[in-house]
Amino acid sequence: MSSGGLTLAVPSKGRLEELTRKAFSSSRLTIARPGGVRSYVGSIKNQPQVTVRFYPAAEIARELILGGIDIGVTGTDLIHEASENGEDNVLFVRGLGFGEANVVVAVPDAWIDVQQMVDLADVASDFRARHGRWLRVATKYVNLTRRHFAQYGIAEYRIVESAGATEAAPASGSADLIVDITSTGSTLAANSLRILEDGLIMKSEANLIVSRTADWTPLRKAQLEALLSIMGGVPPGISTLL
Amino acid sequence: MKSSSERYAALVRLVESRTVTRVAPPLLLPAGPFFDLAGEEFGRNLLLTTANNGVEYCLRPDFTLPIAQGYLDDGIVGVPAAYTYLGTIFRQQNGFPVEHEQAGLELLGQPDASAALDQVLTFARWALAIYDITAPNIRLGGVGLFEAFLEAAEVPPAWRARIRHRFGHPEALSRLMDRLSEPRERIGVQAPDGRETMIEIVTDAMLSGGLSLIGSRTPEEIADRYLEKQALESSPIPERTVKLLTDYLAVSDTAQRALDTIGNLCRAHGFDFEEPLFQVRNHAAALAALSPKADVIFDAAFSPRLDYYTGIVFEMTGRDGEVLASGGEYDRLLDRLGAAQPVTASGCALWTARLEKEATQ
Repeated sequence: MSSGGLTLAVPSKGRLEELTRKAFSSSRLTIARPGGVRSYVGSIKNQPQVTVRFYPAAEIARELILGGIDIGVTGTDLIHEASENGEDNVLFVRGLGFGEANVVVAVPDAWIDVQQMVDLADVASDFRARHGRWLRVATKYVNLTRRHFAQYGIAEYRIVESAGATEAAPASGSADLIVDITSTGSTLAANSLRILEDGLIMKSEANLIVSRTADWTPLRKAQLEALLSIMGGVPPGISTLL
Repeated sequence: MKSSSERYAALVRLVESRTVTRVAPPLLLPAGPFFDLAGEEFGRNLLLTTANNGVEYCLRPDFTLPIAQGYLDDGIVGVPAAYTYLGTIFRQQNGFPVEHEQAGLELLGQPDASAALDQVLTFARWALAIYDITAPNIRLGGVGLFEAFLEAAEVPPAWRARIRHRFGHPEALSRLMDRLSEPRERIGVQAPDGRETMIEIVTDAMLSGGLSLIGSRTPEEIADRYLEKQALESSPIPERTVKLLTDYLAVSDTAQRALDTIGNLCRAHGFDFEEPLFQVRNHAAALAALSPKADVIFDAAFSPRLDYYTGIVFEMTGRDGEVLASGGEYDRLLDRLGAAQPVTASGCALWTARLEKEATQ
């Protein structure tokens, strides 16, 4: 593959895989996964130059940033989270209209004095003097949290990395508040958590994303343009931005 | 002309001079104390590694903390100490690991804090002189001065804490000043009568939300802050005080002129501020005497974003604006590390590669 060929990464399981394949097939690009869910390589009918790889969504984000794959479908949030300036290394081609979710800051509903990030800054500033430890934020979005909190001048806190069920952290006592992804807010409400008025860190959706760090030869650029033109909804000339 | 290696040898001689002790803290340090001291904002710059038992370590990201910690561990709190260092620090910058060489001085437990700061400034100047930098841009800031100013200007204590906390973060501070200058409608529900009722309401909300009443914010704390917030928003800082604050923070000029401006601002506002200014004037004068060719600027809004800084802070920059030396007074550092008694501290760090670059440019 010295001269040509593209690698397209598709989420390997769940609704994200299903909807991604549906989005491609509605553009007459049918993704085949011959080995079923256990296989990690596939192809697109009539597009022999494209190799399809099935990866977990977070890995797609990482590989796009590093240039290990050329095109991928993953959430905007994961690109921002994967590395501190991940978004500089990729090109968001277009949203795909599914996988919508917001990354938000949420506090216990009982914190009636905390409505906005400025309140949180006040609480953080003397939390340690009162409780002998830092204010703790449970999240799996470490980079996004750090960036957002820094913007509001909040330095006095610690992140508790949580792998799952972040929304349970305040009740379980492992953290005081959370930064998490939510689509309807019902999980947060069920856990008596409330999103701050200015607590929206980012709106995310599944995106078709091109790696800027991949090795873009003229031939591969042309192949990219051809594929994107079949996809539709993308103005020609994207490859000139690479 | 000195050669690069001669300059470096001179720097080593400065760091190993007879009146100081050169120390070399380990390269691999527990990461916890750095997070504890400086929080996530600094923590994101650490190069971390994890032991098999899950304990996090980092490559030495600066010298000040391990040196101060070593001083405490030696059990010599209260004994004047002068430490110097020259070695590598490791950080993450823009997502990539980088290493820099730093030299510096830490003066701990000195009886005369003011003399100690002058010693630090002198050390920095000598180091710069080794690299033939005789006219650096020097920026001074006053953390202690700002705290004294808030008190003298009779800013209500609850607002004072909020303002102080944002000092050194221009965006957050200007957002707060906007909030002060246009007091908004109260947010949230009307306060029911009295603190006890509020505490009950919060307690109920916490219990129904499955929160423990101890361990995190307590119902009393939440209720009190809620009431305080309502009180603050119904009694905003007088407009002329907000104006004074804004004017103070905008002062940035040659030290003499800047400090005169602040003195005049305060006088016009009806209080005398000469005594707190006096200290800063002295250090600015000492600096001017040390390096007559340097531009000494006092920038009222300048402060590092680390809350253990207490008095005067400074940075010296070169031709292309890169920081060559920075430091100041940080009396709260030892306290934060758990010292049983107050310990004065001041020091500075120098970026040797940048110094060398200045010398060869």
